[in-house]
Amino acid sequence: MRFALIASVLLFAAIPCSAADSAAPEDTHPTAQHPDLSGFWNLDLKVPRDPQLMGQVAPGTAFIDDTGPAELPRGNYGGLKLTPAAMEKAKHWDPRAQLTPQEACRPPSIVYALQGPFPIEIFQSDQFIVMKLEYYDLVRIIFLDDRKPEADYPHSPTGFSSGHWEGSTLVVRTDHLEAATITNNGLDHSENIEVLERFRLSDDGKHLLATQEYSDPAVIENRGVRFIAWTRQPGQHVYPYECDPGFAGNYAPSSAK
Amino acid sequence: MRSILPGLALIAALIATSSATAHHSFAVFFNTDEKVVTVSGVVKEFHFSNPHGVITLVVSKGNGTTIWRAETNSPSILRRRGWTPQSLHVGDKITITGWPARDGTQYLRMQSAHLSDGSLVGQPLG
Repeated sequence: MRFALIASVLLFAAIPCSAADSAAPEDTHPTAQHPDLSGFWNLDLKVPRDPQLMGQVAPGTAFIDDTGPAELPRGNYGGLKLTPAAMEKAKHWDPRAQLTPQEACRPPSIVYALQGPFPIEIFQSDQFIVMKLEYYDLVRIIFLDDRKPEADYPHSPTGFSSGHWEGSTLVVRTDHLEAATITNNGLDHSENIEVLERFRLSDDGKHLLATQEYSDPAVIENRGVRFIAWTRQPGQHVYPYECDPGFAGNYAPSSAK
Repeated sequence: MRSILPGLALIAALIATSSATAHHSFAVFFNTDEKVVTVSGVVKEFHFSNPHGVITLVVSKGNGTTIWRAETNSPSILRRRGWTPQSLHVGDKITITGWPARDGTQYLRMQSAHLSDGSLVGQPLG
């Protein structure tokens, strides 16, 4: 079943996104010229911030220190400077709205999902990288062949990702993200957010290190960044998430303040 | 049946449980500032599905009973700690420790669960 899923994902990923991509290469095997990020990676909060990646973050970017299970309380946006409109929206945010059958299983975008306390699994080729998040069964495809999204490409929680290698660092730019939460406390990004991620292996190859930067002038006046690290755990795979919206019915609806 | 255990700081609590925040905000919905709550009772229902499992407990109160619900970590994370859909059964006597809902309703976020023989359900964090 798992291999059928992977095969389906890879087949989808190989479908050209525009006419210019119609001659996509057939060889999908990783080569030795780039680090192999393939495998199962579990979030690891013990890994210190990587000076190399952090050194590449744009000056003035707010560091959002909530990676993993920690969350910012209401009214704390970790140094992000909200626009007046975003601040007003955040003030009137009603967290109880998250706990309806319609919303309980709505996945966040990669801006919130990637830093969550769930593992990821990566399948790598020369033409694309498939990143399967356990959280909400999200599947990202990072195209490495310079293809562009067609004009009517839809917005989604995973958006459209294009990547390239800068030495041993995978640099990924993502747009076409559906509006969704940034900090899970009332601050949402717009569908025009632009995300810049850098991934690299630690020197010993045991950890996958990443920074995820984003800019979204409609809601934040400065840039934000999270540092995320995972530890490789060979032989494991992400589990199905299969969210059950019936959960919403179990919750005491007045518990949030 | 209910006791209040003071003194856990937010960060320590979060690290201890390695909780998944899933879709709704843990920090907003649950009081992690000062206390955890311990509730003992009999399992009435146990749902083991994402984004959170839910344990419904019948708890003695005076001459009668009352209902508590405990939301668990994401089951896909709990599976890696030895939990399964068969970890609890209707009629099991258990004790749950967790963070109470901010509004004081009988709902909490499970930190740990113990069976009546004192054994921990699942495995402790490594």
